[in-house]
Order: sequence, then C-alpha cells, then structure tokens
Amino acid sequence: MSRKISFKDAINEALSQEMERDGSVIVMGLDNAGGRGTEGQLDAWGGVLGVTKGLYGKYGDRVIDTPISESSYIGAAVGAAACGMRPVVEMMFSDFFGVCFDQMMNQAAKFRYMFGGKAVTPVTMRTCYGGGFRAAAQHSQVLYSVFAHIPGLKVVVPSTPYDAKGLLTQCIRDNDPVIFMEHKVLYAMKGEVPEESYTIPFGKANVVREGKDATIVAIGWMVHKALQAAQSLSKAGVECEVIDPRTVSPLDFDTIIKSVEKTGRLVIVDESNPRCSMASDISSVVAQNAFKALKGPIQMVTAPHTPSPFSGALEDLYLPSPAKIEAAVKATM
Amino acid sequence: MHNTKTTVGIIANPLSGRDVRRLVTKASVFQNAEKSNMVLRMLGVLGKLGVDEVFMLPDVSGVASRVIHAMRHGRAAEISAFPRVTFLEMPIRDSADDSLRAAELMVSMGVSVIIVMGGDGTHRVVANASGDTPLLTLSTGTNNVFPEIREATITGLAAGLVASGKVRLKDVASRNKVLRCEVNGSRKDMALVDLGVSTECWIGARALWEASCLTELFVSFAEPDAIGLSSIPALIHPVSRTDAYGLRLVVAPPGEGFMTVEAPIAPGVLLPVSVAEISEVRPKEVFKVETARGTLALDGEREIEFSENDSVKVWLEMDGPVTVDVNKVMLAAAKHHVLVRHHRN
Amino acid sequence: MAELKKEDLLKAYRTMREIRDFEERVHKEFATGKIPGFVHLYAGEEAVATGVCSHLTDDDRITSTHRGHGHCIAKGVDIIGMMAEIFGKKTGSCCGKGGSMHIADLEKGMLGANGIVGAGGPLGCGAALAAKFKGKGGVAVVFFGDGASNQGTILESMNLANIWNLPVIFLAENNGYAESTGVKYNVPTPNIADRAAGFNMPGVTVDGNDFFAVYEAAGEAIKRAREGGGPTLLECKTNRFYGHFEGDAMTYKAPGEVKRQREECDCLKIFAAKATAAGLVTAAELEAIDKEVAALIDEAVEKALAAPNPTEADLLTDVYVSY
Repeated sequence: MSRKISFKDAINEALSQEMERDGSVIVMGLDNAGGRGTEGQLDAWGGVLGVTKGLYGKYGDRVIDTPISESSYIGAAVGAAACGMRPVVEMMFSDFFGVCFDQMMNQAAKFRYMFGGKAVTPVTMRTCYGGGFRAAAQHSQVLYSVFAHIPGLKVVVPSTPYDAKGLLTQCIRDNDPVIFMEHKVLYAMKGEVPEESYTIPFGKANVVREGKDATIVAIGWMVHKALQAAQSLSKAGVECEVIDPRTVSPLDFDTIIKSVEKTGRLVIVDESNPRCSMASDISSVVAQNAFKALKGPIQMVTAPHTPSPFSGALEDLYLPSPAKIEAAVKATM
Repeated sequence: MHNTKTTVGIIANPLSGRDVRRLVTKASVFQNAEKSNMVLRMLGVLGKLGVDEVFMLPDVSGVASRVIHAMRHGRAAEISAFPRVTFLEMPIRDSADDSLRAAELMVSMGVSVIIVMGGDGTHRVVANASGDTPLLTLSTGTNNVFPEIREATITGLAAGLVASGKVRLKDVASRNKVLRCEVNGSRKDMALVDLGVSTECWIGARALWEASCLTELFVSFAEPDAIGLSSIPALIHPVSRTDAYGLRLVVAPPGEGFMTVEAPIAPGVLLPVSVAEISEVRPKEVFKVETARGTLALDGEREIEFSENDSVKVWLEMDGPVTVDVNKVMLAAAKHHVLVRHHRN
Repeated sequence: MAELKKEDLLKAYRTMREIRDFEERVHKEFATGKIPGFVHLYAGEEAVATGVCSHLTDDDRITSTHRGHGHCIAKGVDIIGMMAEIFGKKTGSCCGKGGSMHIADLEKGMLGANGIVGAGGPLGCGAALAAKFKGKGGVAVVFFGDGASNQGTILESMNLANIWNLPVIFLAENNGYAESTGVKYNVPTPNIADRAAGFNMPGVTVDGNDFFAVYEAAGEAIKRAREGGGPTLLECKTNRFYGHFEGDAMTYKAPGEVKRQREECDCLKIFAAKATAAGLVTAAELEAIDKEVAALIDEAVEKALAAPNPTEADLLTDVYVSY
C-alpha cells in the first residue's frame, strides 16, 4: 500500500467505485456536475469544492445537479432512498442543514421506527464542516453533536483519506440514513489509500496512538491536533493514547472506556461548541461507567459557547489547539 | 329601483380559467393578478367618462381584494379618477352561482351595462340573468368564442361611453341567439355558442376535449376563426352571430359519413371529425337528442347528465343576452368626435 | 375519461364508504377515550383520495398528510391493521409505534401519513425520481392541504419536479381551513392551482366532492406523468366534516356550515345519486356494500380492542436496520 491520494480524491474514488458497482447509487447536490443550463462546459465544478469532479463524465445523469433548494432535494434523496435508490446527496456546508433539518430529523431518521420497522432508507448525506477557513459563523459550525442526538441517524466523521474512502463506501452500502462529515481543512491532506474498494465498519474506533498515561479522544480534524499534542507531551515523558472514534453515532464506548481504565485520565477534543456536545456526551458516559478508574477530572477541549468568528485572530482563539490539548492533559494529572 | 346615477357592473370571475383544459390541451393560464389589473384599468377610464359607481362581485380572496388593496394603497392621482366602487352584499360560495347571483343583483339595481370578464362559461352563467341589460364581453384566456379578446381599457371606454349616454346604446347593441335545452320538460339550461352531446356518462372534469365522444352538435353561430367545437361546422358552413338560424351537425364514426373536417376543437388540438349530417336550424325548431345516454356540453363544458330514461330536447331561440359591439361604439365615438376637444384656432 | 365499468364504480363506492365509516367510527371511539394521541379525520374528502388512487398500482407511490386515513385506505392499506394502529396496538400497521399520523405501508406504495405539514412534497419528488430511474412508468402523488400550500417544501418541490420533469402529481386538497384559519386569509390567490403558472406546469381546479371530476382530472394528470409529460398541480375543492383534530369545537365554522355541507356536498351521496341515475349500479348493490363495510369496521374495532399492547422489547427495536 504505497499509493498516496488526497482526502478529497479518496471520497471521489469511493463514490465512483460504488456508482460503478451499484446502479441504484446516484449522486445529487449543488453543482455536483456543474455547468448545466449554461453555454459553457459541463462538469464545470464537480461540487463547490470539486469533490465530485469527473463523476458526470463516467455516470452521466446519475450525477444530478440540484437547485439551491435544500429542503426539496435532501427530501427527494430521502424519498428516493425509501423507494429503492441509494442516493448520496451533498450539502455544501453542514450549516445549511438548518434549512432542511425536517427532512433529516423528522423524515429520514424516524421512518423506520414510525413505520414499525418496515422502512429502509439508505441515504448518505455528505457535507463539509468545520473551522480554519475563516468562513465565519454560517459556513464553519461543527454540528455532528446535533445529528448524533437524533435516534435513527448515523453520523460518520473521518479524519484520514483511508478512513474517508472506507467509511464512505460503508455509508453507501449501509441501509440506514447516514451523515458523512468532511472537514474542509482535511480535503488537501494526502495519505495512503488502497485502489481497490473496501469498507470500514461503523462503531469501531481507531486507536491512532497507544499510550499509558492519558487517553485523548479526538474527532475529525482534531485527531491531528491531538497527535501533535501527544508528540510534544511524549518529549516530557507523558505517553498519551489517542483514539479516533471515526463514527460518533454509533460511538465505540467500549474502546474509550477500556482505554480510560488503562490510563485513568481522559481528555476529549471536540471542535463543536461545548454544551450537549460529543465531548460532554463522552464525559458523561465515562463518568458513569469508569468513574473508579479516573485518577483526575475529565477535561474537554472544545470551541467556546459562541458562534464561529470570522477574524483569523479570533478563529485561532476559538479552535482547539495542540497547546490547549497539552494543557488539558496536564490538568488531568 | 331606478338609478339616477350612472352605474356599471363588473363581474370578474376569479375561478375561471382553471379547468382541466390546462392539463389536456394547451389552454392558457390567466393570472388573477391580471384580472384585477384589468379591472383597475377599466376603473380609470370609467371614472373619467362620468360613471358614478361601479358594482363588483365581492370575492374575498381574488380579484376584488387586489382592487381594494390598490384603492387603499395606490397612487392618489390614479385613484381619485376612479368611480365609487361598491362590492355587492351577497354570500360567496366560490362557484359559478356567484356570477349568476351578482348578475341578478346588478340587473335589479338598474346598472347601465355589465362588463363580464371570464370565459364562455362565465358569460353563459351571466346571460341566464342579464335580461335586457347589455353586456360587454371580455375574454380572460384564449379558449373562448363568445367574449372578445381585447385590451380591457378599450372595453372600459366603450362601457363608459354607452353608460354615460355619449354613444347611443341602440346603435351599438344587439341581441344574441341562444341554444336552449331541457330534460323531461324541466331542468332547463342554455348555451351561447355550442351545445354538444357526448357519450361520456359523467360531467366529470367538465370540459369536452375528445372528439371521439361527440355525437351531435348544435351551434347558434359558427365563425371559422373560432376555437372549440363550433369550429367543426364553421369550417364547413359559417354562420354569423346575426344570421337568423343556427346549425346542427351529426358526428359519424372516424372515416365514415360524407366528409371529414380537421377542426381546432381545443387550444393546440387539430382533430379530424367525420360528419354524417349538417343542417340549418331555425328558431323554435325542437330537436330530440338521439344519443341514448351521456352528457350535454354547454359551450364546451359538460353540464347535464342524462340516461336512456330521459327525454332531451334542444332548440334555438333569438332571445339571448344583449351585447354591446365595442367596435361599433368606438367607431361612433370617432365619428361624433366624442373624445375629441377642439381648440380655438 | 377512461370508461368506468360497473365493478369500478362499486369498488370506488366501497373505498369511499370504507373511509367514511372508518372515520365516523374513529370519531365515536375517540370520544370514549380509548384512542390515544391526536387524530385528524378525513370524512367529507373521500372522493379525492378515491378518485386519485383508483388510477394507481402498488408500484406508484403516494405521500400523505396528518389527515392520512383516507389516503391509506384508498391506497389499499389493510383496515384491520390501521384500526389497531390507531388504538396503539402491537398488531397495528406500524406495531403501535406510529399511530394515526404515521400509518404507512411501503409495499402498497403508501409512504406514510406525515405529521409535518408539507413534508410530503420533497419525499414525493424522491419517489418520482426513483420511478424515473426505474423507467417503468411509475408515478408519485403528493397529497397536501391548503395550509401546506404555503410551505416552502411544497413550493420548492414544485420547482424541483418541473426542472427535473418528474412524474409527480401535486394533489392539493383544499378543504378551506388550515386548522382554524380560512384559506382566504392564508392564500392570496383564489385557487391553489393558480400557483402552477409560476412553475410552468398545468394547474387545474376541480370539484373535489365529485368523484367523477377528480377521477377524470387525476386520470389525465397521471397519464401525462406516466408518459413523461411531467408534473401537474391538481386542486380539489372539498370539505372536512369534522374539526382539524378530534376535540376541535369548530367555532370558526359558520353556523350550519357543516350541516349544509353534509346535505349538499357529501361526496358519497353525490356519487350514489349519479351512479344510480345513470343506471349503472342499483341502490340495492350500494346498500349491500354499506352492510359489508359496516361489518368490516366493527370487526376492525373489535380486533383492535382485543389486540395486545406492544411490550418493552418493542420500545428499542426498529430504530436502525443495524447499529
């Protein structure tokens, strides 16, 4: 396994391979091909950040451009999924789910339960999220905690190109509605990715770094910041175990609890706002299930309880950083 | 009650133009916003010609509310020229009955003329009640024969000229023919242009657009440039609105009969219709419908269901509604310089 | 109009009678306190669901509303299971987990009654998109009310359906009231069908109390959609005989309004009068159906009352296919 491709290309490859494998897979979203209805070229964009570029050339009208009308096209993806298709629908920025939340929260998530187990809604909702781009409050928020709150939805947050391809392939083959969250900072990141198709199961955390002194659970982009902090702490003789849950619903509590039982210390790094977040959720589960193993207070490193700021000077303060993570680990000591 | 004021009625049916022809043919969708704009354009000229008061149908949600809104919030200079507008006090059922009831009220109040905006169906309903009160007809859509397609300002102008006595009514108005029908001696109704007999059992979505169901057709007049069922005989034997006869045509199965005519029986639809018989119909000459079971379509809309047990009769009468010929009004106005002011020197 | 044979007429009458009796009975049972939750009755609007669904097969999909019992019955959902569901029983269509507002049967093409006003629009577009990919001429019908006609989801869906040329029919059931607010307050055009013009699709209004009018217009719209002609907005003007929900005293209706509607606009009475006058069915045949339907509804209530409640084990199942 020596081929290195970007996070973005890994997603594109998963989409392409699944479209090739299964004729019921369709791709929908704003400008997913791009250029339709113009006198210029088709497949002009391949999505606003180019993730779906080239699929139109291979799969034609199975790549569907949508109007800027999220309720209708996210809902159409949900409806098509309930009628035998496997749509992968793209929401440009996860903040925009605000305009179509009903179709996710009341429709896709609840069909199976409301209908007594008779509905299958295999829809994948891809979206890009997160800070670091100075994209301000309506293009930066981290909302996976909100989605993870909702029974019936699965929420996937990959941190590497390898995980992105394997998890997205699993999303498409999965029979439940899944939200697949792509951090915009990670798109350019390169990593080893097998050419052949593969899946990564949901609910299986990845122990990215082993250590005996403290457990750091980090999600998405934060995994890389946690690794930086762990490396720095290692020089000071503190060995951190870094766990990437990879999916926040389902969440692999077993791996986290086992690690805490070993290290006795827990730091959660979550780019979302702190209240009712993955950080507070993991904290509460560990406090309930591994209280006796804890040697110090659980620490959360999150964004503050504010919207995402625009100015770089403010956003850098807003986001969790390796320095804050190091400080948090020390606070558990 | 007789008015000393000059009054005009306007019936603008907000329900017209939404029948199934929008779906099965290429009939136009006429926006209600445009209907209220037409009313506003007419109000402007009616006021300037000295009409004191205009009576209107009080539909709450449609044309009237836009008119009220414009009168409350429009530009003062424009509105000051309007006559007083009174909405009739009557219950609204959102059906064709509203137009009928409005026409009855306007006649009883002694309006000089009634401007009718709608399709053949609306005009047919109003004609049931208009008696001797002259109508100015204005088509809202492209799918009609009886009313005129014309810019509303001119219709309003003609109405104002007649109502204010600036043009003499007797020079410009005439009475129309009408086709009457009855089932078992009761259930009387009428058509202004055409009365078709269809083998379809049900009124259903009302419009009649499939020639294959048509068995017999009566027309009071037949203009070759008309759209709809009357185009079938019109393309064989035109009859004007003033000729003292109509036509009866019996449809033959496809390819049978003695001729086939390609007729535009609906917007965008040119269909072959085979003809078994065509003959002139004199006033009061009563025809028994030969079709055993089906529906009568009055001016293109299925209105009456009948079965084997029913006796259905059709005849032509000369006592239809009075209509004002807008062309003649404007010609008279021009001839007598009604709208001309001569400057000294 | 596709010719309605005697058996078609009897079937349509049976469906309308089933809906009416189902709703009248739910009304009675609700008053006794045996039915939990919120219930919205379809009585008075039967000709709409029946006239439309008469043209559909199990491969065609419909999306429904909070007032969905009629759509379910017209689409062929089992009445015994529906009644049990409304009573919250394990034998219900959805194991007692959905209730009145969420009855669904995907095998019958019924994508669910829906508690969110206007939510069916996007879902129906999705069903139509799936049908388009399948390429077998399937269609989707989105039932929605005059209240939902103001939801962005419905208007967005009309746009989507037209730009994608989807085989979908937007079926506006205009019963004149969004809860307690009149359509004349909520909708600025006289007809909901007027809005079709903005999306460049046909907009048609018919008498929703006349089965034959609905049947014919819906038949044309569905035929057009099956043949690739695209969406249609079909508005059926109708009446609801009961309140927005059970327990609504309907103080917003004019005195005598419902009485008049029941006398003059009852779609079952209108249907029976027309069909017998045409000599195609006899009053005796309709009465026989009345009796059979009454027995069926009795049976449905008896079975629902006798059925077991769901158990604790049912609480946690059916959230995911796998988790």
